[in-house]
Amino acid sequence: MTSDNTGNNRNKNKNTTTKWFSNVTLIRESQIMKIHYITAVGALFVVAIHIMMRLIMPFNMSLEFENVILNYKNVFYALLLESILILIAIHGFNGLRVILLEIRQTQIWERGVNILVIVAMIGIIAYGTRTIIIANGFSLG
Amino acid sequence: MLLWRGSIDMTSATSAKRIDDNKNKSDRANREGLRGWLNPIIYGWERVSYWFQRLTGIFLLVYFIGHVYETSSLVSGPDAWAAMLEMTQTIGGHIFLILVIGASTFHTINGIRLIFTHSGQGLGTPGRPDYPYDPTSVNNKQRSGLWIAFILAAVAMLYGANVLFSGGE
Repeated sequence: MTSDNTGNNRNKNKNTTTKWFSNVTLIRESQIMKIHYITAVGALFVVAIHIMMRLIMPFNMSLEFENVILNYKNVFYALLLESILILIAIHGFNGLRVILLEIRQTQIWERGVNILVIVAMIGIIAYGTRTIIIANGFSLG
Repeated sequence: MLLWRGSIDMTSATSAKRIDDNKNKSDRANREGLRGWLNPIIYGWERVSYWFQRLTGIFLLVYFIGHVYETSSLVSGPDAWAAMLEMTQTIGGHIFLILVIGASTFHTINGIRLIFTHSGQGLGTPGRPDYPYDPTSVNNKQRSGLWIAFILAAVAMLYGANVLFSGGE
Protein backbone atom coordinates (compact mmCIF):
# COMPACT_ATOMS: atom_id res chain seq x y z
CA MET A 1 0.00 0.00 0.00
CA THR A 2 1.42 3.40 -0.92
CA SER A 3 1.48 6.34 1.40
CA ASP A 4 -1.21 8.01 -0.78
CA ASN A 5 -3.52 5.07 -0.27
CA THR A 6 -2.94 5.18 3.47
CA GLY A 7 -3.83 8.86 3.45
CA ASN A 8 -7.03 8.20 1.50
CA ASN A 9 -8.10 5.47 3.90
CA ARG A 10 -7.47 7.79 6.81
CA ASN A 11 -9.65 10.46 5.16
CA LYS A 12 -12.35 7.89 4.40
CA ASN A 13 -12.46 6.88 8.07
CA LYS A 14 -12.72 10.52 9.07
CA ASN A 15 -15.70 11.02 6.78
CA THR A 16 -17.74 8.31 8.46
CA THR A 17 -17.69 10.16 11.78
CA THR A 18 -19.66 13.15 13.01
CA LYS A 19 -17.89 16.39 13.75
CA TRP A 20 -20.24 18.24 16.03
CA PHE A 21 -19.03 21.77 16.67
CA SER A 22 -15.44 21.75 15.51
CA ASN A 23 -13.04 19.39 13.84
CA VAL A 24 -12.96 17.24 16.97
CA THR A 25 -14.71 13.93 16.32
CA LEU A 26 -16.99 12.99 19.22
CA ILE A 27 -18.98 10.01 18.02
CA ARG A 28 -19.20 7.79 14.94
CA GLU A 29 -22.36 7.74 12.82
CA SER A 30 -22.56 3.95 13.31
CA GLN A 31 -22.68 4.49 17.08
CA ILE A 32 -25.34 7.19 16.68
CA MET A 33 -27.48 4.72 14.68
CA LYS A 34 -27.05 2.12 17.44
CA ILE A 35 -28.27 4.72 19.96
CA HIS A 36 -31.14 5.49 17.56
CA TYR A 37 -32.22 1.83 17.49
CA ILE A 38 -31.73 1.26 21.23
CA THR A 39 -33.82 4.33 22.10
CA ALA A 40 -36.49 3.12 19.63
CA VAL A 41 -36.80 -0.31 21.27
CA GLY A 42 -36.68 1.25 24.76
CA ALA A 43 -39.37 3.79 23.85
CA LEU A 44 -41.55 1.01 22.44
CA PHE A 45 -41.76 -0.68 25.87
CA VAL A 46 -42.21 2.42 28.02
CA VAL A 47 -44.79 3.99 25.67
CA ALA A 48 -46.71 0.67 25.68
CA ILE A 49 -46.93 0.88 29.52
CA HIS A 50 -47.91 4.58 29.27
CA ILE A 51 -50.79 3.75 26.89
CA MET A 52 -51.91 0.76 28.95
CA MET A 53 -52.20 3.05 31.98
CA ARG A 54 -54.81 5.03 29.98
CA LEU A 55 -56.74 1.89 29.00
CA ILE A 56 -56.98 0.02 32.34
CA MET A 57 -59.97 2.26 33.14
CA PRO A 58 -62.46 4.12 30.91
CA PHE A 59 -60.42 6.48 28.71
CA ASN A 60 -62.26 9.68 29.76
CA MET A 61 -61.92 8.84 33.46
CA SER A 62 -58.19 8.18 33.08
CA LEU A 63 -57.71 11.74 31.81
CA GLU A 64 -59.44 13.45 34.76
CA PHE A 65 -57.18 15.94 36.54
CA GLU A 66 -57.15 14.10 39.88
CA ASN A 67 -56.32 10.78 38.23
CA VAL A 68 -53.49 12.25 36.15
CA ILE A 69 -52.01 14.04 39.18
CA LEU A 70 -52.19 10.75 41.13
CA ASN A 71 -50.21 9.12 38.29
CA TYR A 72 -47.54 11.83 38.50
CA LYS A 73 -47.29 11.49 42.29
CA ASN A 74 -46.34 7.84 41.89
CA VAL A 75 -42.52 7.91 41.81
CA PHE A 76 -42.25 4.87 39.52
CA TYR A 77 -44.70 6.34 37.03
CA ALA A 78 -42.88 9.69 37.17
CA LEU A 79 -39.62 7.86 36.37
CA LEU A 80 -41.38 6.07 33.50
CA LEU A 81 -42.56 9.43 32.11
CA GLU A 82 -39.05 10.85 32.44
CA SER A 83 -37.59 7.87 30.56
CA ILE A 84 -40.22 8.29 27.80
CA LEU A 85 -39.30 11.96 27.58
CA ILE A 86 -35.57 11.29 27.27
CA LEU A 87 -35.81 8.26 24.93
CA ILE A 88 -38.25 9.88 22.50
CA ALA A 89 -36.44 13.23 22.54
CA ILE A 90 -33.14 11.53 21.62
CA HIS A 91 -34.75 9.26 19.01
CA GLY A 92 -36.98 11.95 17.50
CA PHE A 93 -34.41 14.71 17.22
CA ASN A 94 -31.74 12.34 15.91
CA GLY A 95 -34.26 11.17 13.29
CA LEU A 96 -34.85 14.80 12.33
CA ARG A 97 -31.06 15.30 12.12
CA VAL A 98 -30.73 12.30 9.78
CA ILE A 99 -33.49 13.64 7.49
CA LEU A 100 -31.99 17.14 7.40
CA LEU A 101 -28.50 15.80 6.65
CA GLU A 102 -29.91 13.72 3.76
CA ILE A 103 -31.30 16.87 2.17
CA ARG A 104 -28.04 18.82 2.15
CA GLN A 105 -24.39 18.06 2.86
CA THR A 106 -22.19 21.02 3.68
CA GLN A 107 -20.05 21.59 6.73
CA ILE A 108 -21.99 24.70 7.84
CA TRP A 109 -25.36 22.94 7.36
CA GLU A 110 -24.16 19.86 9.27
CA ARG A 111 -22.90 21.93 12.20
CA GLY A 112 -26.03 24.09 12.21
CA VAL A 113 -28.32 21.03 12.21
CA ASN A 114 -26.30 19.35 14.98
CA ILE A 115 -26.44 22.44 17.19
CA LEU A 116 -30.16 22.97 16.47
CA VAL A 117 -31.19 19.41 17.35
CA ILE A 118 -29.07 19.29 20.52
CA VAL A 119 -30.48 22.61 21.76
CA ALA A 120 -34.06 21.53 20.91
CA MET A 121 -33.51 18.14 22.56
CA ILE A 122 -32.19 19.69 25.79
CA GLY A 123 -34.99 22.29 25.71
CA ILE A 124 -37.82 19.76 25.41
CA ILE A 125 -36.30 17.44 28.05
CA ALA A 126 -35.89 20.38 30.45
CA TYR A 127 -39.46 21.60 29.85
CA GLY A 128 -40.98 18.14 30.26
CA THR A 129 -38.88 17.42 33.37
CA ARG A 130 -40.14 20.69 34.91
CA THR A 131 -43.74 19.48 34.45
CA ILE A 132 -42.96 16.07 35.98
CA ILE A 133 -41.16 17.60 38.98
CA ILE A 134 -43.89 20.18 39.72
CA ALA A 135 -46.76 17.72 39.21
CA ASN A 136 -44.96 15.20 41.40
CA GLY A 137 -45.17 17.69 44.24
CA PHE A 138 -41.61 18.85 44.51
CA SER A 139 -40.95 22.57 44.42
CA LEU A 140 -38.39 24.06 42.09
CA GLY A 141 -37.96 26.85 44.64
CA MET B 1 -18.97 17.23 -21.32
CA LEU B 2 -16.90 20.09 -19.96
CA LEU B 3 -16.00 22.93 -22.35
CA TRP B 4 -13.24 25.38 -21.62
CA ARG B 5 -14.47 28.89 -22.38
CA GLY B 6 -11.55 30.92 -21.11
CA SER B 7 -9.79 33.57 -23.20
CA ILE B 8 -6.22 33.18 -24.35
CA ASP B 9 -4.80 35.77 -21.93
CA MET B 10 -6.22 34.14 -18.79
CA THR B 11 -3.83 32.88 -16.18
CA SER B 12 -3.90 29.15 -15.57
CA ALA B 13 -5.40 29.64 -12.10
CA THR B 14 -8.31 31.70 -13.46
CA SER B 15 -9.06 29.26 -16.25
CA ALA B 16 -8.97 26.34 -13.83
CA LYS B 17 -11.47 28.15 -11.62
CA ARG B 18 -13.74 28.71 -14.66
CA ILE B 19 -13.66 24.99 -15.50
CA ASP B 20 -14.48 24.20 -11.85
CA ASP B 21 -17.45 26.61 -11.92
CA ASN B 22 -18.82 24.99 -15.09
CA LYS B 23 -18.40 21.55 -13.53
CA ASN B 24 -20.31 22.64 -10.38
CA LYS B 25 -23.13 24.09 -12.52
CA SER B 26 -23.48 20.85 -14.47
CA ASP B 27 -23.47 18.86 -11.17
CA ARG B 28 -26.26 21.03 -9.80
CA ALA B 29 -28.31 20.59 -12.99
CA ASN B 30 -28.27 16.81 -12.48
CA ARG B 31 -29.39 17.01 -8.86
CA GLU B 32 -33.03 16.13 -8.29
CA GLY B 33 -32.91 17.38 -4.70
CA LEU B 34 -36.15 17.20 -2.71
CA ARG B 35 -38.15 16.13 -5.80
CA GLY B 36 -35.99 13.01 -6.13
CA TRP B 37 -36.42 12.27 -2.43
CA LEU B 38 -40.20 12.55 -2.67
CA ASN B 39 -40.73 10.69 -5.98
CA PRO B 40 -42.45 7.37 -5.12
CA ILE B 41 -43.30 6.37 -8.69
CA ILE B 42 -40.24 4.71 -10.20
CA TYR B 43 -38.77 3.18 -7.04
CA GLY B 44 -41.69 0.96 -5.93
CA TRP B 45 -43.00 0.16 -2.46
CA GLU B 46 -39.58 0.46 -0.84
CA ARG B 47 -39.55 4.16 -1.66
CA VAL B 48 -43.09 4.47 -0.26
CA SER B 49 -41.81 2.84 2.95
CA TYR B 50 -38.82 5.23 3.08
CA TRP B 51 -41.18 8.17 2.55
CA PHE B 52 -43.77 7.10 5.12
CA GLN B 53 -41.13 6.32 7.74
CA ARG B 54 -39.80 9.87 7.50
CA LEU B 55 -43.17 11.61 7.23
CA THR B 56 -44.65 9.68 10.17
CA GLY B 57 -41.42 10.36 12.12
CA ILE B 58 -41.69 14.12 11.59
CA PHE B 59 -45.44 14.05 12.36
CA LEU B 60 -44.83 12.12 15.59
CA LEU B 61 -42.03 14.50 16.63
CA VAL B 62 -44.41 17.45 16.17
CA TYR B 63 -47.07 15.56 18.19
CA PHE B 64 -44.50 14.75 20.92
CA ILE B 65 -43.56 18.43 21.31
CA GLY B 66 -47.26 19.36 21.36
CA HIS B 67 -47.99 16.62 23.92
CA VAL B 68 -45.21 17.83 26.25
CA TYR B 69 -46.62 21.37 25.98
CA GLU B 70 -50.20 20.13 26.45
CA THR B 71 -49.40 18.16 29.62
CA SER B 72 -47.52 21.14 31.08
CA SER B 73 -50.97 22.72 31.64
CA LEU B 74 -51.28 20.30 34.61
CA VAL B 75 -49.11 22.59 36.72
CA SER B 76 -51.55 25.49 36.19
CA GLY B 77 -54.41 23.65 37.88
CA PRO B 78 -57.62 21.76 36.95
CA ASP B 79 -59.16 24.57 34.87
CA ALA B 80 -56.13 24.92 32.59
CA TRP B 81 -55.99 21.12 32.21
CA ALA B 82 -59.72 20.93 31.34
CA ALA B 83 -59.37 23.77 28.82
CA MET B 84 -56.42 22.05 27.12
CA LEU B 85 -58.26 18.71 27.11
CA GLU B 86 -61.28 20.36 25.44
CA MET B 87 -59.19 20.77 22.29
CA THR B 88 -58.95 17.00 21.84
CA GLN B 89 -62.65 16.42 22.57
CA THR B 90 -63.77 17.71 19.17
CA ILE B 91 -64.20 15.70 15.94
CA GLY B 92 -61.04 17.35 14.55
CA GLY B 93 -59.15 16.48 17.74
CA HIS B 94 -60.32 12.85 17.53
CA ILE B 95 -59.26 12.58 13.87
CA PHE B 96 -55.85 14.05 14.76
CA LEU B 97 -55.40 11.49 17.57
CA ILE B 98 -56.46 8.65 15.22
CA LEU B 99 -53.78 9.81 12.77
CA VAL B 100 -51.25 9.82 15.63
CA ILE B 101 -52.23 6.21 16.49
CA GLY B 102 -51.86 5.13 12.84
CA ALA B 103 -48.57 6.97 12.37
CA SER B 104 -47.04 5.58 15.57
CA THR B 105 -48.10 2.00 14.73
CA PHE B 106 -46.73 2.18 11.18
CA HIS B 107 -43.50 3.88 12.34
CA THR B 108 -42.98 1.20 15.01
CA ILE B 109 -43.65 -1.88 12.86
CA ASN B 110 -41.77 -0.57 9.83
CA GLY B 111 -38.96 0.59 12.15
CA ILE B 112 -38.60 -2.94 13.56
CA ARG B 113 -38.42 -4.26 9.96
CA LEU B 114 -35.71 -1.68 9.18
CA ILE B 115 -33.65 -2.62 12.27
CA PHE B 116 -33.63 -6.24 11.04
CA THR B 117 -32.87 -5.14 7.47
CA HIS B 118 -29.98 -2.87 8.56
CA SER B 119 -28.51 -5.77 10.50
CA GLY B 120 -28.62 -7.93 7.34
CA GLN B 121 -31.61 -10.12 8.24
CA GLY B 122 -34.16 -11.08 5.57
CA LEU B 123 -32.18 -9.69 2.65
CA GLY B 124 -31.74 -13.01 0.80
CA THR B 125 -28.52 -14.32 -0.67
CA PRO B 126 -26.69 -12.60 -3.52
CA GLY B 127 -27.27 -14.21 -6.92
CA ARG B 128 -26.36 -13.83 -10.59
CA PRO B 129 -28.11 -10.77 -12.05
CA ASP B 130 -30.59 -12.24 -14.56
CA TYR B 131 -33.42 -10.59 -16.45
CA PRO B 132 -35.62 -8.84 -15.21
CA TYR B 133 -32.87 -7.91 -12.69
CA ASP B 134 -35.07 -7.85 -9.60
CA PRO B 135 -32.80 -7.29 -6.58
CA THR B 136 -32.93 -10.22 -4.12
CA SER B 137 -32.91 -7.73 -1.22
CA VAL B 138 -36.32 -6.42 -2.32
CA ASN B 139 -38.06 -9.71 -1.65
CA ASN B 140 -41.39 -10.93 -0.32
CA LYS B 141 -40.13 -10.89 3.29
CA GLN B 142 -39.44 -7.18 3.04
CA ARG B 143 -42.69 -6.44 1.20
CA SER B 144 -44.80 -8.51 3.60
CA GLY B 145 -43.19 -6.61 6.51
CA LEU B 146 -44.31 -3.38 4.90
CA TRP B 147 -47.86 -4.67 4.32
CA ILE B 148 -48.07 -5.91 7.93
CA ALA B 149 -47.13 -2.39 9.04
CA PHE B 150 -49.92 -0.88 6.92
CA ILE B 151 -52.52 -3.45 8.07
CA LEU B 152 -51.65 -3.12 11.79
CA ALA B 153 -51.73 0.69 11.47
CA ALA B 154 -55.25 0.45 9.99
CA VAL B 155 -56.37 -1.94 12.76
CA ALA B 156 -54.94 0.35 15.46
CA MET B 157 -56.68 3.36 13.90
CA LEU B 158 -60.00 1.49 13.89
CA TYR B 159 -59.53 0.54 17.56
CA GLY B 160 -58.60 4.15 18.42
CA ALA B 161 -61.62 5.48 16.51
CA ASN B 162 -63.86 3.07 18.41
CA VAL B 163 -62.50 4.22 21.80
CA LEU B 164 -62.59 7.94 20.96
CA PHE B 165 -65.94 8.09 19.16
CA SER B 166 -67.73 5.83 21.64
CA GLY B 167 -67.27 8.55 24.26
CA GLY B 168 -64.24 6.99 25.89
CA GLU B 169 -66.17 4.22 27.64
